Amino acid sequence: MSHQLGRVVSEILHRYFGELVQQVGNDLFIYGSKPISMIVKTTGLPRKQVIESLRTLLKFDLASFEPSVHEVVADYKLLPDNVLLLIRYPRYLLQIKSKYGTEAELLVEELLQQATSTATGLLVTVATKNKDDKEKNITILKLKDTFVSLATAGYIQQAPVADTKEGSSDVPSLVPVATIVPDLDSRQLIHAMTTGSLADIKDNIYWKVNYDRFHQDFRDDIMVKAMTRRIDDNAGELMRLLLQQMYLSSAAWAAESNPTPALDIREAVRRAADKSLLSQHVDHYLKVLEENGAGFVRRVGDAGGGQLVVCGRRAAGRLLEAVLDHVVTERLGSNAARIFRLIRTKKYIEEDDIQKHAMLPNKECKELTYKLLEEHFISVQPMKKAASSGAMAKAIYLYHIKTHDVAHTAQELCYRALHNCLRRGAHERNAHARLRDKQRRVRTIVHGMRMRGEPQQNIDDVEETLTPPELAVLKDVEKRLKQLSAAELELDRNLFILNWYFMYPK
Amino acid sequence: MSSNKNDDPISDKILNIAKKNPKGISDKDIVAAVPDLSSAELVAAINKLLQQGVFDLFNQGGSLIYRLKAQTSKQAVKGADNEEKVVYNLIEEAGNKGIWIRDIRIRSNLANTQLTKVLKSLESKKVIKAVKCVNASKKKVYMLYNLEPDRSISGGAWYQDQDFESEFVDILNRQCLRFLQQRADKIKNNPKGPILGRTQSFATAVEVQKYITDLGISNVKLEVEDVVTILNTLVYDGKAESNVYPDGSKVYRAIESLIPPPGLVQVPCGVCPLVFKCCSTGLVTPQDCKYMDEWLEN
Repeated sequence: MSHQLGRVVSEILHRYFGELVQQVGNDLFIYGSKPISMIVKTTGLPRKQVIESLRTLLKFDLASFEPSVHEVVADYKLLPDNVLLLIRYPRYLLQIKSKYGTEAELLVEELLQQATSTATGLLVTVATKNKDDKEKNITILKLKDTFVSLATAGYIQQAPVADTKEGSSDVPSLVPVATIVPDLDSRQLIHAMTTGSLADIKDNIYWKVNYDRFHQDFRDDIMVKAMTRRIDDNAGELMRLLLQQMYLSSAAWAAESNPTPALDIREAVRRAADKSLLSQHVDHYLKVLEENGAGFVRRVGDAGGGQLVVCGRRAAGRLLEAVLDHVVTERLGSNAARIFRLIRTKKYIEEDDIQKHAMLPNKECKELTYKLLEEHFISVQPMKKAASSGAMAKAIYLYHIKTHDVAHTAQELCYRALHNCLRRGAHERNAHARLRDKQRRVRTIVHGMRMRGEPQQNIDDVEETLTPPELAVLKDVEKRLKQLSAAELELDRNLFILNWYFMYPK
Repeated sequence: MSSNKNDDPISDKILNIAKKNPKGISDKDIVAAVPDLSSAELVAAINKLLQQGVFDLFNQGGSLIYRLKAQTSKQAVKGADNEEKVVYNLIEEAGNKGIWIRDIRIRSNLANTQLTKVLKSLESKKVIKAVKCVNASKKKVYMLYNLEPDRSISGGAWYQDQDFESEFVDILNRQCLRFLQQRADKIKNNPKGPILGRTQSFATAVEVQKYITDLGISNVKLEVEDVVTILNTLVYDGKAESNVYPDGSKVYRAIESLIPPPGLVQVPCGVCPLVFKCCSTGLVTPQDCKYMDEWLEN
């Protein structure tokens, strides 16, 4: 809950929901939890608008509420972590598209936009929207199957429902429910499609996207890629199989998974079998993965041909270290990164020893060490000899790294960078709002004319209202915005690793 | 010893026992060694030897102890006065680690000016030399002229006249990395299995040393431990990892970082020196940031 986080969250809310929601969100971020009347008072907005904004926030799960002390009104609270997820949406879509195809992408996209929806409602909307698209060839039956498989795989889940228990206060509370894979009636769906009304169908189970399931995929992806980089493709593949085995027996985010017998892995490899090299040398690959795999995998026993555990916590730590190394390298140079790593390896080290091991000139070494200290990448612990006399009592200064604190430093930096990107994007949009507006108008007009089948001559006339210099500017802006949003996604990836690390208590 | 050859058999005998007992001999030992001698003759012989400066005389628990002086000191201090002898002994004791002038002063009890004079004269005779210490540039240590300074004083191969040669280290660092990288790919999809591939991608320090020596980029002879130091810097650079073979020798392998450069360093803010001064309003803002302009231009 830092000031920087507040800035990012505010900027994101502004981009996706506009100024009013931003104001309310800001207010909630600063004061923690408060009831509506207090929000009205501090923001100075009309009560109606505040309620509207809160409704939006609650709908997208960006805020929560709970009964206040008096039990008659609700206190609202912003969920900044969920707000940050808004910029991750493109990644969810990409992930689901590569795994389940276009139908799944359309479903998830619609669901993300609507926040919650009934299964039939969602299916009918998506099918109707893509009715005319011949290329994709979307049918409601295909969508239904995809929906079921998404629900089975846990990418979507049932939304929490209001607690209807008696004796509870006036303020309802949301309780999560177990997801039951729905059994949808195809005939009803087709009927609803043709009539275009959902009134006949009684469907009151609401669905929402399960972010956590996506995050597991991202996590697996990072681990597999890391192993591929460190050893080779086969080791990456093996890592993937190990993770799959892990899901069968342990919690997804466990610090250390339950032991998996190597026998099961061998079996899984044989079934996957398209990698001949891997299946030939499974045991060797396991051994190498264990010894040179940066500690992602650990052997815990020899029973049943060896027991392996996946160390999520250690993997997060290692990846965090890699991130920090990169950051230090880019900010202060590779020599500083050398010192940084040296200190990490030696845990506690004196200044003189740093010079000796880092093989750098004295002056440069000292300078870099102090720079690292200044930017909070390393810490120093003075050790005073107790009760020794006078000038001879020289204190020893031990440099060390507090990983948790440094991770926070990096997180702050990420927030700052993300805020700046968002801010810059908003600025670019504002500065060229008129032109972009014009372009959009021209496009709609041209589109409409094409639909009506008007002569090419007229269409060209309309298109020429955008002058070449204007087009050049637009192209330029487009490019910049694209670069900025790519950067936002990359920063989000970075934050993902950091958050993964923070997931495990210190 | 040739200069101290004595015609006198008595002196010879005394010297012999003294040599056998490097801790020193007492009067009784001498009497036991040469029993057929009168005390007057004995005194004369010992006095003669003392005059020659063969013995040091100590008082231990009330009895006198004669101890043979080390050979070299006898030669070197020839023609020197007592102060020089004392200073010389202290310096000699320090060996190739050298001794600091302050320590000489305290231990010899000589006045500062006198001591400097003595040291100067010894230096001019090329008996001792002053060596600058690499750890503290102003600290000078004295040692015997013919000694090679210890690594802790001279800094080993990496120092030229007390200056650290960072370029040299950099070049070696790069060459070592190149050598390791040549092998690193062997582990990737090795048809003979990953363990063999891993073994092939490892290099021992001896191999690296041979490679460096064959390259001929260094005119200083590099020891294996020097190469190990360089290889360790590669490990600290995150470009290599080290393992230990079953026989205890250390091996190295070039590696890549676990992840490609993260998002933070791909945006200008991640490397921006002003990032902590950057605000929504004021002089430094993301809206008119020069670094961002440059970044977005290309």
